[in-house]
Amino acid sequence: MASKLLAIRNIGYKPLSLLVKQIPIQPVPYNLKLLSTTPVVSVNFFNKLPADKLWKSVTSVSNAGAKKGRGKGAGRIRIRDLNRGQIIGVGKINMLWPGLSAPVIRGRELLKQQRLPDDPERIEKLIKLRDSMTKFRRLKLSPIERGWSGSRMPGRSIGPPDPVGEDEFTGFDTKVLQLRSLLIMKGSLGRTRNYQAMVVTGNGQGLAGFGFGRAKEAPAALRKAKNRAGQKLMHFEIYNGNTVFHDFYTAFGRTKIFVQMKNEGYGLNCHRAIREICRAIGIKDLRAKVEGSNNLQHIVKAFFIGLLQQRTHQQLAEEKKLHLVEYRAENERYPKVVASPSEVRTKEQIPQTETLDFNQYVMNDKVILRKKKFPRFYETMPHYDIYLKKYERYRNHEKIRLNLKMEYGEIKSFLTDKYPEEKTQDA
Amino acid sequence: MFLIFRKISQSNVKHVVAKNYENQVFILSSRKLSIVPSVYDGEKDPAPKFFSTNVQVLLKRLTRPDFAKVFRKRKNHDMPILRTPTYKFLTNEELEAEIVKANNKAEKLLQMPPVVKTNQPINDVLSEDPALVGYDTAKYLFTDITFGVANEHRIIVERDPDGILRSCDYDLRKRLNQVYFPIQGRKIREPQMFTDTEKLNSLLERQEYEFILDRACLQYEPDEFSYQKVTSITYQHVDMNTNYSLLRSTRHFGPMTFYLTWHSNIDNLMLELLQSGAIREAVLLVALRHEILTDITNGDKLQAIVQQILPTPVQLTKPECLTEEDIQLDNKCVECIEKYVLTNSAMKSQHELALQGFREYYQHLIELSRGLQIAHGKASN
Repeated sequence: MASKLLAIRNIGYKPLSLLVKQIPIQPVPYNLKLLSTTPVVSVNFFNKLPADKLWKSVTSVSNAGAKKGRGKGAGRIRIRDLNRGQIIGVGKINMLWPGLSAPVIRGRELLKQQRLPDDPERIEKLIKLRDSMTKFRRLKLSPIERGWSGSRMPGRSIGPPDPVGEDEFTGFDTKVLQLRSLLIMKGSLGRTRNYQAMVVTGNGQGLAGFGFGRAKEAPAALRKAKNRAGQKLMHFEIYNGNTVFHDFYTAFGRTKIFVQMKNEGYGLNCHRAIREICRAIGIKDLRAKVEGSNNLQHIVKAFFIGLLQQRTHQQLAEEKKLHLVEYRAENERYPKVVASPSEVRTKEQIPQTETLDFNQYVMNDKVILRKKKFPRFYETMPHYDIYLKKYERYRNHEKIRLNLKMEYGEIKSFLTDKYPEEKTQDA
Repeated sequence: MFLIFRKISQSNVKHVVAKNYENQVFILSSRKLSIVPSVYDGEKDPAPKFFSTNVQVLLKRLTRPDFAKVFRKRKNHDMPILRTPTYKFLTNEELEAEIVKANNKAEKLLQMPPVVKTNQPINDVLSEDPALVGYDTAKYLFTDITFGVANEHRIIVERDPDGILRSCDYDLRKRLNQVYFPIQGRKIREPQMFTDTEKLNSLLERQEYEFILDRACLQYEPDEFSYQKVTSITYQHVDMNTNYSLLRSTRHFGPMTFYLTWHSNIDNLMLELLQSGAIREAVLLVALRHEILTDITNGDKLQAIVQQILPTPVQLTKPECLTEEDIQLDNKCVECIEKYVLTNSAMKSQHELALQGFREYYQHLIELSRGLQIAHGKASN
């Protein structure tokens, strides 16, 4: 490529008179006796070697340094492709080359070589372009594509898993939960860097799975994790299309999670990883409190274990041999029988020590500590009572304004008609 | 049947706005028709008929209470946000007890607002003191605010500028009761949706009948003229557009049916019942008419059929399978309706057509259920 460019540059450097007369070009370009004294092709620094070797000599990072990752950060000199911004056929002297930069026949006329007016800003444009290529650009993502923070991968979506044979993963979306680079020391290679990715995939209808992937490069690790997650899908039952069946407690390692089912409209009040998992499964309202260790992989595993150990209403009724009845406040607490067992126990058959409270039974006799709510810091201050007494005067004013607007269309009192506001004269 | 509304209000000196209506006709005009309200202020008093046990039982049965609708999620609830449901494990006995409690709650929710005749203006002068003329230009209102006294029995009197001490009229009484003992949701000034015809019209066109009726119950007393005017307009609108299903399983269906029957307007409702195949409710409606207007031939035999219908469960959806008793009962109902259509119906052809359609559909149903029974080896369900 570079040699071709050199050859063309040779032609460009030749004097115009020669080309116009179409004297056959001598095969030896370096014969100074035959040609005139006008500047001709010569060997100089810039055409001895190809472009990448030239650039390498400027940036100069040794092999060992490259292995250690030197010269990769924000401070290094960027190699610029000098061909950018230039088109073949357009140069310092602006000429029309039919066959190269312009068509040979335009309409009915045959075009000829001719000199076009010079573009004075060409060099400035090129310099400006080359300057813009130097700085290290921060990858800017739109808020929709953005993950949990900045342009990092965790929280971002990487599409559905790759199809396996004929099965396509329609409706699936994977989210990256973790992407980190690990270093291991080997006797033979020394320090080697490895990327590890954890990914969750799901179709929002109850099917979801998580997977790990390891590779030398980040995109490869993500791909491996994605496909592994697609292989290890689990089916979860969702109650009412929006939440889990009951509260539960799970733990993995030193990570403990307390999960509570919530009503429609509550949202996902959870750790960001658990939120992504819920979105993948299709759970829309949940509260999950992570206690103990914050290890992300343990959180994910604990949550999945808890979801798998969930029992549906029918299973709970069968276990207990009692009717399971749901009371909703918005339905006037009407007793709705959600599940009935095949046979129901009577009161005498229930032992005294059995837990009949639903929440206690479902949490396996674990009781969540409810801390006493102490007064806010300002409520105990000495001036607070006086403030409340003063505020009482206009505590209801917002509602009054609304009512006045509703009744009269504007905020007015019985004095408004009596004393209409004077119209101020503009100066 | 329409009445002209005449109101002469007492001029209230203290407030700025003083409206004087005289011989004003309140007509709500929709695009082509105009609804004229009619009020229970004639000689006949609806209260004894409305509160009689027979009529109450019939009206309750006609509302067809569907617990899914009775206990539905309401928008104007006290709760600003939804709450998570709670769960309980119950034995059979406990479950039955809960169901009984739920039935009582449903009865409370479906308690019908009373239908009574309009009140007569209060006109008793307690004393005349012409010596007080010129003392003040304002009227003085005295209210007895002892706690524990019912609002209806509260002593509220006024001293006019011409020295007469008299008991206050109903609207003043209501206003002062609301000032001292406010009912949540009742406004002192009448809401514009009841006074402004356009606003009421737009609500009716949006078919927000329940909202209008609930708010009217809250704002007015049942013996007030305005209440009966608003409710009568709403009932007539429902009747004209046959949107009865919007009010079924609410507490307003009973008074609406009573209103329509009182004014002999049950033809639309009868048609709707026949077309949807609720033949037993049609018979109940005929029985109701006989109770209120007593103008049906062989009306006494109706009572026997009604007694047979009432123990059967409420039909929320169309039946899929019929037993022999069902078939016999329904046949008797069909005969009864035939007689009614011949004698008392105003839309004879439509009713007969609907009845014919019902007969055909019922025939299919009989064949289907008899076939099923044979297929199951005459197993009775």
